Amino acid sequence: MTGPPDVPEAAPRRLESGSFSSGLTVPDFAACLQMGLRPVGLVQGFCAMQWGWYGAGSPYMRGMSPYTPQGSGGAYAQTWYCPHGFVSGEHRMWGQNYEQVWVEQAWLQGFNTAFGRLIEEAKEVGAHGVIGVTDTAHSLLESNVAEFHVLGTAVVVEGAPPPPKGEPWSTYLAGQRLAKLVEAGFMPISVVASIASVRVWAYCVTEYLMEGGATLWQTQGTAPVQDVEQVSEGLLAARAIARDHVRRQLGTDTLHGVTVATSEREIGGGDQVFECTLRGTRVRRFKDFDPIGAPRPTVRLS
Amino acid sequence: MTTTPEADPRAEMAAAAAWLAHGGASSEKRGVTSDLSIDEALLLHSIGWEPIELVFGVSITSVPVGVWTWGRGQIGAASDAHNLAVHTATERLTKECSTVGGHGVVGVRASVEVHPHHVEVELTGTAIRPAGAKPHVGRPFVSDLSARDFVLLSNAGWMPLGLAFGASFIYAPRRDAATALRQSTQNVELTNLTEALYAARESAMDRMQTWGLQMSADGVVGVHVTEGPMYFARHVMAFSAWGTAVHLAGDRHRYVQPDVVLPLDDVVVQFAARSLRGD
Amino acid sequence: MTGPTDLPKDAGHRLEELQHGFFTSDLSVNEFLLVKECGFHPLGFVMGSSIYHTGIQGRRWSKSQELDKLTEAMYNARELAMTRMEEEAEALGADGVVGVRLDVNYYEWGSDAAEFIALGTAVKAEDGKSYRNKLGKPFTSDLSGQDFWTIMQTGYVPQGLVMGTCVYHIAHRGLGQTLGSVGQNVELPNFTQALYEARELAMTRMQDEGNRLEATGIVGVRLEEKTHQWGSHTIEFLSLGTAVTKTADEVTLPRPTVIISLDN
Repeated sequence: MTGPPDVPEAAPRRLESGSFSSGLTVPDFAACLQMGLRPVGLVQGFCAMQWGWYGAGSPYMRGMSPYTPQGSGGAYAQTWYCPHGFVSGEHRMWGQNYEQVWVEQAWLQGFNTAFGRLIEEAKEVGAHGVIGVTDTAHSLLESNVAEFHVLGTAVVVEGAPPPPKGEPWSTYLAGQRLAKLVEAGFMPISVVASIASVRVWAYCVTEYLMEGGATLWQTQGTAPVQDVEQVSEGLLAARAIARDHVRRQLGTDTLHGVTVATSEREIGGGDQVFECTLRGTRVRRFKDFDPIGAPRPTVRLS
Repeated sequence: MTTTPEADPRAEMAAAAAWLAHGGASSEKRGVTSDLSIDEALLLHSIGWEPIELVFGVSITSVPVGVWTWGRGQIGAASDAHNLAVHTATERLTKECSTVGGHGVVGVRASVEVHPHHVEVELTGTAIRPAGAKPHVGRPFVSDLSARDFVLLSNAGWMPLGLAFGASFIYAPRRDAATALRQSTQNVELTNLTEALYAARESAMDRMQTWGLQMSADGVVGVHVTEGPMYFARHVMAFSAWGTAVHLAGDRHRYVQPDVVLPLDDVVVQFAARSLRGD
Repeated sequence: MTGPTDLPKDAGHRLEELQHGFFTSDLSVNEFLLVKECGFHPLGFVMGSSIYHTGIQGRRWSKSQELDKLTEAMYNARELAMTRMEEEAEALGADGVVGVRLDVNYYEWGSDAAEFIALGTAVKAEDGKSYRNKLGKPFTSDLSGQDFWTIMQTGYVPQGLVMGTCVYHIAHRGLGQTLGSVGQNVELPNFTQALYEARELAMTRMQDEGNRLEATGIVGVRLEEKTHQWGSHTIEFLSLGTAVTKTADEVTLPRPTVIISLDN
């Protein structure tokens, strides 16, 4: 990738100074020391992306076609056709749900670039891993620009060899939670994020149902109260695709502590976008679960 | 109470890192995605269960036009739509759970929104099973209780069965002009609204109980309720209730007999640091 | 003890009363007990404030740049508030200040003027040893009583609340130009570099402060972004943390009991 020097000028000066900085809270810091993790520096990565979504010249209705009911290149697409059999300008004869692969790619490029820079900073300080990662992705100012900012604390595992190929491992976890994860037999591999974006272009039946006009079409087998199949499928597809994206990278590893975020946006009449992002820490089992003692149930006095 | 085996976090970490440095490969047969915290994973393990996969259930159900604006009493189409949406979403969630061989879904987060022309229900949870167990025969259970609650319940001899929902929408008759005028300067109860809300509550709770009884449950725990006028139709009083239907699976209830503690933390961090085999 | 030089007379009177063993503190009972547990005694609630006119600085519409005068103003204002708080603590013979909070208030008397306040509880070690930092001043830290206890268990001692700031102006026009390639997803290199650099500068300056205190490291670093009242294109990046020095081997915490809380 061409572009800015991957780490800004001020970074080396900060990273080379003798002292460390860490974004960990004090309890997390204490836990980290007890695990033999020596913090070596606060590392970050940043990337601003132009979000070529719905501004002027955006790829409006890109990828949609009544003749390709199956999406191209393995992408999800599902097509519905009008059951009524009449033609009118206001009557949507067909509709489609389709995966907006280019949106997913843009998001991933932004996330991966920022994350790559964080790892690069981590390598510069000779880290074995990065813990307590936080990431934010939000649009900036009023334009179609989104920024990705990833932050974490680089650590060295005392008395352990560096990770394979010098590539630091990373995790969203820190402190006791990380200690418990390791004790439970999981080693963190990497933070993982994925996104799915599904556009739903409604056909006549969906439009009528969503606008409360179902009674008009009762004769065509449309009950006034019924599942709006196209929209339900679209919402479900967004979630399933995000999960599949993650699964494909996972192999036999576990994605631990997943957070799911979903959003729905209306672009115009009968035109919606459903998005789903998943974030979690990819972990790998290195020993069997230790059985844990039964915890003491307690009630707080205060 | 069993004793916790002593573990040295430093040695554990160093061993794990060394294992990774030497190209350690996973000993698992298949990947797992789970939104459980490590505490929850450990707790599940303590009763011999494991997470398998994140599962979803969604349904959008249509509501015909006009139901909110005229009529009297129960708005049947609205509660039918609500009922259908919850049922369809739960069906889809349990289908995903069965596909991955789960015996049940815990920690279900339910988002239910009622709009003028549609009801939207979204369910997200983690499918679990007894470690290494064969796919479940029959219907998997669904619970909006956390994995931690599932463990506590199960230790006490109880098992969740499914989500029990009930909703009711009642059209509150407007006061006639003379009454409205007379009441405008008085402090009076608006009996039309009170009555509508009461009626809505009774029928919603009743529906939830019926749903629970159909599952042969002994009760419903963790009931949440929402109540009040609809944002788009102020004369419609809505009441909805949902919770996890449970039944006593063991022969008797097992008591937990808690210890009392006096914490010195100001912030109530529930079940976090130092709570579970922490170091 | 000579009185502080920079403080108002009223403060002098309040502090005199505190020198006779009576203390005030905004620590909660839990925090009070934990601070005592580490061998410290609270002396008094100390504060410092500075009302600062932050001025303006010309920004070029089309150029992304650091606004060094504003950076300096923001930094000096906080530094003044912190120094005055330290002076109060010094007047009490304190070893340090815990639970420091730094705030900015805007009042109605002018959009360019702001009050910078530092508040905290001065503490002194009961074993008679000095816990002052390398510069001979009481240490400052934004750690709560609980965090203070925990960090002391790890063998680290707080040295000072350190900060770095950078006020950055983001170009308007440069952005529009890059948008020429419509319909594509591309990285905006200038933009990335500007914001990346601004954050790095704030963090580097914080680290420099830590190095002046000869700290081993900085814990609990927070990176805040504020637009204050400058409009959305001018952003202050503020980096804050507590510098710590390793003084002893860590105390091994007793193995905690495994509990499951039945409280809501």
